[in-house]
Amino acid sequence: MSRKFLFIATIFAAIFLVGCSSKEQRVPLEDVGMVGIVAFDYIDENTMQLSIAIPQYSSHAQKNTEVFSVTTELASKGIIDIEALSDKKITFSQLRVVLIDEKFARIGDLQRTIRHLYRNPAAADKVLIAIVKGVSAKELIEADYPDKPNINFYLNDILKPTINTAFNPNTNIHDFVYTGTNPVIDPIIPVIERKDQKIEISSVALFKNNKMLETISAEDAYIIQNLQKKHKIAPLSITLNQGDGTERLVFNIVKSKVNIKSNKNIDSPKLTISLVINGALIEYKGKRNSSLYTSEGLSKIENDIDKQIKNNIDQFLDKLKEYQVDPIGLSEYFRMYYNGKWTKEMTEDITSKLQIDVQVKTSIISTGTLD
Amino acid sequence: MSTQTKKILNGYHVVFLVQSAMLGTAILTLPRELSAVGYSQTVFPLLFGVIASLTLWPMIWLNRKYPNENLFRINELLLGKVLGKIINVLIILQITVFIAGTITYYMDLIHSTTLPEQTNTFPLILLLLLLLYIVSGGIKSIARFCILSFFLTSGIYYFSHWAFQKGIVSHIFPLFNFNSHELFDAMKRGYLAVVGYELIMFYFPYIKEQNKAFKHALIGIWISISLCFITVFISVIYYSEWQLKNIKFSVLNLLKAGELSFIERIDVFAMTLWVFLVISTLAVYLWSAKKGMESISDKKKKYYLYILAIVIFLVIKLPFTRDFHEKLYKVNDYLVYVLIVWPIFLCIIYLLRKKQVQS
Repeated sequence: MSRKFLFIATIFAAIFLVGCSSKEQRVPLEDVGMVGIVAFDYIDENTMQLSIAIPQYSSHAQKNTEVFSVTTELASKGIIDIEALSDKKITFSQLRVVLIDEKFARIGDLQRTIRHLYRNPAAADKVLIAIVKGVSAKELIEADYPDKPNINFYLNDILKPTINTAFNPNTNIHDFVYTGTNPVIDPIIPVIERKDQKIEISSVALFKNNKMLETISAEDAYIIQNLQKKHKIAPLSITLNQGDGTERLVFNIVKSKVNIKSNKNIDSPKLTISLVINGALIEYKGKRNSSLYTSEGLSKIENDIDKQIKNNIDQFLDKLKEYQVDPIGLSEYFRMYYNGKWTKEMTEDITSKLQIDVQVKTSIISTGTLD
Repeated sequence: MSTQTKKILNGYHVVFLVQSAMLGTAILTLPRELSAVGYSQTVFPLLFGVIASLTLWPMIWLNRKYPNENLFRINELLLGKVLGKIINVLIILQITVFIAGTITYYMDLIHSTTLPEQTNTFPLILLLLLLLYIVSGGIKSIARFCILSFFLTSGIYYFSHWAFQKGIVSHIFPLFNFNSHELFDAMKRGYLAVVGYELIMFYFPYIKEQNKAFKHALIGIWISISLCFITVFISVIYYSEWQLKNIKFSVLNLLKAGELSFIERIDVFAMTLWVFLVISTLAVYLWSAKKGMESISDKKKKYYLYILAIVIFLVIKLPFTRDFHEKLYKVNDYLVYVLIVWPIFLCIIYLLRKKQVQS
């Protein structure tokens, strides 16, 4: 009896309780603006210009991207301001690219801004970062790329890892926070430029104390990738200058192996880097064309390539020494043996004193099917 | 007074009951709790495993002296009825607040990852109802649920391999560059990730092969320890020391590193799947608390479970500041350590009062 009563009472209560529920505030999917790109431009010490790009799916719009931009002090305040401008509810769950203009990277507080995105659980850690050179980040996303798809996808595709841009560090939010907070390594971020209606990755920016310091060429950036043991297989173009005039060759790396050994001594640090490269010779232009087909000739070229690569690496490492930055993370080979707390100063100390012995061993395993 | 309890738990049930009760929400933040010792934390899960195995032994030893009694009854038998009951009430309170703390913690995570635009009342009620449903089936149904949830969720570990590939392995070599204060801090905060095995003292009377219970519980413990070890290992190679210290849910960010062509955000997917681990942990705790209430009142009543659920709901929804809640849960968490050393104390009493108790 009482059970029946309870049952009926529950049903009645449930029916009338509906009146107590508040109206749903949930936004339907078609009203959500999935931000693909966030861009930060430097204005002054306290303010920045925040721009976002959202893919436009409506067929009534003339352009395929919506761009909003506001001047703000705080990133999240900027987002709220943009929501007032926008016809959609802004979400970061599809964010793919963060653009920073060069001035912001050089003098702004980049680490704090990126950390804001890192803290946001809606944004993934794989969001790629790039520095915009020449124009402001806002101009870059507002510009027309008539033969390209939506800028949201276009930029993401450019910055994504591909074979042809093996020098690209593909720095994402996690990498930047990781390298920025780890005392043994300094961050690097790819630099993009707009060149006649297309975007290209032109160089890579070195950071010191979380401020942009200098840009380095793609060739130098490729050395970083190689020494970090990121096994990227990419064509390598080398200019030889070893006695037989200027020779140019393109070398397709099939396998490369790096071995780095430290002497574990932080007072007189010394590293031995041995690099083994196996690859196929694709193209050669120079005096020694005929010697390509004899094994003695090839081994001489191999030797020359060894010397040239060693030379390139040595020059690059000297440059790093001069800047006192360590984008490769070479200090890690000393930290892992050091029994104590490692500090940023120790990394700088190591980088300026470091002696490096580079050994390169190249072997050409194929020259193609023409004889 | 002693009643012959039905023996219903097989060996594999024991393995997964122990394993699931250990693995709840604490593992999500384990690398952060251990961050006081920096990169040297890799060895800590193994150390915890050894401590857990050692502290398990007195529990089983004591229980085997009373094959048909759980810890609540043993308390009464060894300490006398009044003192025993007081201790039992404290244990029940501890367990209840622990459940409330774990649920709050998980709700925080869900709130910040998957349901940012909603209050947690409705998900909380759903979670409690599910919990009631599972616990009302008895310890065997809980054990079955634990087995199910283990196999459903262990697949999550596959998704951490991207972080593993990206990491720098040279971080893991322990340098032991910490002082005793940091060591103590890491031990104190980190060991919470492996507690839960002590609940075997409550369901021990239901185990069929009690002479093998120690072995089965050990297997359970070391399954959990190896999962903790994997978590800490991957976190250490993937993060900088600053990140270890500052990232709240390390596992969440580890999973964020993943990329599949057909799922963009594995982390959200995995965090919602984590509810299986949370419920399987809490089910064992809630069941133990219910047993405690039965032993205090010497009656078996089904509505004890509902009372407990309402109390848990009220504790979570108490209109106190967030700070007070956090402190309450923290103090309560450390009380677990008392429960872990408690059987050693009882063993000593047992040996001292052997003749009186046995007669």
